[in-house]
Amino acid sequence: MDERVIPWQPTVIAGPKQALLVTPETAEMMIQKAKRPLLVIGPLINDSPAQTLSTKIAEKWDIPMVSTGDAFKSLSEADVQSRAYGLVEIVNLLKDPDWEGLKGDGQHDLVLFVGVLYYMGSQGLSTLKHFAPHIKTLTICRFFHSNADASFPNMNEGEWLKYLEKLAK
Amino acid sequence: MQLIKIYGDILENKFKAKELKDDFWKSKEIKIITGNIVDETPEDVPESAGPTLKPNVTDLREWDMKLLERYEPFYAPFCDMCCLCTYGKCDLTEGKKGACGIDIEAQQARTVLLACCIGSAAHSGHARHLLEYLIDKHGKELPIDLGMNIDIEAPIMRVVLGKHPKNLGDLKDGLNYLEEQMVHLLSACHTGQEGKSVDFESKALHAGLMDNLGKEIGDLAQIVALNMPKGEDAPLVELGMGSVKKEKPIVLCIGHNVAPGAGIIDYMEDQELEDDVEVCGICCAALDITRYNSRAKVVGPMSKQLKFVRSGVADVVVVDEQCVRTDILEEARKNRACVITTTDKICLGLPDMTHADPDIIVRKLVNDEVEGVLIQDPDKVGEVATRVALKISKERKSIKKLPNLEEIQEMSKECTQCGWCIRVCPNSLNMKEAVEGAMESNFTKFQELYENDVCYTCGRCEQECEVDLPLISMLTKVGEHYVKNEKYNVRAGRGPVQDVEIRRVGAPLVLGDIPGVIAFVGCSNYPEGADDVAKMAEEFLERNYIVVTSGCGAMSIGEYRDEEGKTLYERYSGDFDAKGLVNVGSCVSNAHIPGACIKIANIFAKKPLEGNFQEIADYILNRVGACGVAWGAFSQKAAAIATGINRWGIPVVVGPHGTKYRRLFLGRADKTEKWRVNDLRAGKVMEGEPAPEHLLYAAENREEATVAIVKLCIRPTDTTKGRQIKLNNYIDLHKKYFGTIPHDIYKFVRTEKDIPITYKKEVLKILEDDEWEPKAILQEPSLMDFKEEIVSGGK
Repeated sequence: MDERVIPWQPTVIAGPKQALLVTPETAEMMIQKAKRPLLVIGPLINDSPAQTLSTKIAEKWDIPMVSTGDAFKSLSEADVQSRAYGLVEIVNLLKDPDWEGLKGDGQHDLVLFVGVLYYMGSQGLSTLKHFAPHIKTLTICRFFHSNADASFPNMNEGEWLKYLEKLAK
Repeated sequence: MQLIKIYGDILENKFKAKELKDDFWKSKEIKIITGNIVDETPEDVPESAGPTLKPNVTDLREWDMKLLERYEPFYAPFCDMCCLCTYGKCDLTEGKKGACGIDIEAQQARTVLLACCIGSAAHSGHARHLLEYLIDKHGKELPIDLGMNIDIEAPIMRVVLGKHPKNLGDLKDGLNYLEEQMVHLLSACHTGQEGKSVDFESKALHAGLMDNLGKEIGDLAQIVALNMPKGEDAPLVELGMGSVKKEKPIVLCIGHNVAPGAGIIDYMEDQELEDDVEVCGICCAALDITRYNSRAKVVGPMSKQLKFVRSGVADVVVVDEQCVRTDILEEARKNRACVITTTDKICLGLPDMTHADPDIIVRKLVNDEVEGVLIQDPDKVGEVATRVALKISKERKSIKKLPNLEEIQEMSKECTQCGWCIRVCPNSLNMKEAVEGAMESNFTKFQELYENDVCYTCGRCEQECEVDLPLISMLTKVGEHYVKNEKYNVRAGRGPVQDVEIRRVGAPLVLGDIPGVIAFVGCSNYPEGADDVAKMAEEFLERNYIVVTSGCGAMSIGEYRDEEGKTLYERYSGDFDAKGLVNVGSCVSNAHIPGACIKIANIFAKKPLEGNFQEIADYILNRVGACGVAWGAFSQKAAAIATGINRWGIPVVVGPHGTKYRRLFLGRADKTEKWRVNDLRAGKVMEGEPAPEHLLYAAENREEATVAIVKLCIRPTDTTKGRQIKLNNYIDLHKKYFGTIPHDIYKFVRTEKDIPITYKKEVLKILEDDEWEPKAILQEPSLMDFKEEIVSGGK
């Protein structure tokens, strides 16, 4: 099996439903298709080039951002606006089809995740996989997330940054 | 039971004896055993006893549903399938149901119930072992006497059973009751029983309550029978791998049951060997042995287990129950240490020599005729362990236990750099980088993993390594020269909180002047090392919170020193008061934490205890600013502990690994209807506040957790002064870790008087932007007895 599509932590394999492996091009199509996308950005990439690229992606596609953990501070210091929620809080809101969304214009239909603690992100994605059929999930971390609908593969840092650059261009 | 019920009903004048149906009196073989009937009516239960004495599985369901309506279960399935019966595996994705009809929500809740049953049974099985042993040793008449300062000796037992246990024998009633409940709860997990997630959750909450009760019984029994501290100040005891004197014969106790350790101490004292043999422990057994005798040493939390055993320092390893590595025999034998198992929970295939002559057991162990032995007699364990350690220690000192640094360098060159050690690590730690450094004789990265238990040595990397590098042994060796500096201290577990302390802090806690009680409990599955717990504790101590701790959390707090080299136990008193750092003891001592909250309801608010669970829990939820933290929770016991605490209305924050329990209880601050309360004093239903906002919450890192914890100490009944203090902490910490005033601050400001003076201008600006309006301050909020429609949200 291609090691790029085995979950980064291999034991998070949950069952028969696995994420679709995507390239930046496919990810771009998913974002284009979405009406109300959201980017959830976690603390693992605080103050890093990946964080900068992720915010550029959000800016390019006009995607509102939720920061988890303590990522809010790092983003604020970089003059990037986000809304702070705990990861489990935002996932809890996303699974509710009636939540008004971050901008108040309705529930999101696509959520991108990046920089969230891997195993915790995996749990959150599992929640959305099972209980949020109204939302597609896309992970743009450098780790393959089998619980997402679509995920980048496992990559080294350099390749990952190139993926993010493509998506931000 | 039928006779007893009828008898009780007659006493309550529900009907007269002559009104009983004819069939009853015509029945044959009716036996009226007066003595038994009288025994079933607890003599010390007051007439005012509440409605839920000895609640059965569904008796507190109404309360549970109130909690679950506000704090809806949030599920994060660990697995998409169910594999519990031979219909399966069943795929439960995309709304599919299993062959038995179960859906993914119910399956998650069933798994949670199962975990809570396992955890609760582990504590109560432990309590049963202890109680039977102690009754055997001291007699069932041994009084439950906790001294002049504690009248409410068993708050949980009083609420649940309506019983004031007067002696060890009385504690058996509690165990008999909970064991019956546990059978019913476990049976609900069987295929084709319960089908709704909320009812599984109600049962999980009941299992949690049984866990509370079992722990209270276990700790009370050992406190009175083994003369452990009874709520008074306890001494500082030595902690850390460096505190163990390696030159002596060493007996290591691992687990949770104090009895074998106490047996060892007793034997050593009888034989005057205290200065000749070192007794130390890992996990809660260590803490409880030091409550029995402060000369014993605490090696540390369970994160030390594999590296300490691999270090080969221990000559004899005595294991009892819970949280012991199941390969402990194999690991200990690598260094020719002797293993003694001591309870029916852990037998490891060893011969049962409980009834054998100690001379024979010692001979067999010393001569390696057996790999280890099972001895279910703590006194005999004491003799055998001590004698064996004395005999084999000298010879074992010459055994090479770990590879030396040159060998580590050579072994490292075998590494294929596949990187799978990182991928299988629970925290994705970079072991590969450490090995790569070692190839060049640079051990810095190994040191970084070793220090502060960043690597808690679960050993999964070793299992995965394709060239079988002994990574944990390599880590242990590199860390060896740090060991001598690993000398800390922990205050021995003091047991319950005194009634007199509750009288002192009850008012400031309920009014908010003391901003909260924060309890650090549980295991050492930390996401980023052990000092996160200590740093959080330090933050709250500096801010006047009462910090309570137990178990591995208490040890992790002790392993942290400030810049002046002092531990938090040296800097803060052990009083249950503002700035107090209270180590209650081991896992079973956790019962004293809800116990303290129950006492606040009783002593400060005069709420009757007996049979009055709902009223007490309702009071705690709405008025007592307490929050539990299980930052490294890993076990089923931790699941039961948290769930039990939740049923009393106390929120709990777990670390990120806690999401793997599959279920949290999350509130929705954006849904105002969820926060309505019945103000009993105003006599109407009112708009409330999201306080506490969640009941079981998982944080991604320490920074998020710190802020979440202070927020979860807010309660609707805080006075304006109390609320100012709590909001000041919330804002301060949010600014520290997030850089701003929290965006939801307006939800917790009832009137302008609630705003901390320091932040008045900034907060008022936020209130203005959010079109905030003042709210009434609730006087006596309750989740029960909603009889009216919403009347008012404002003044």
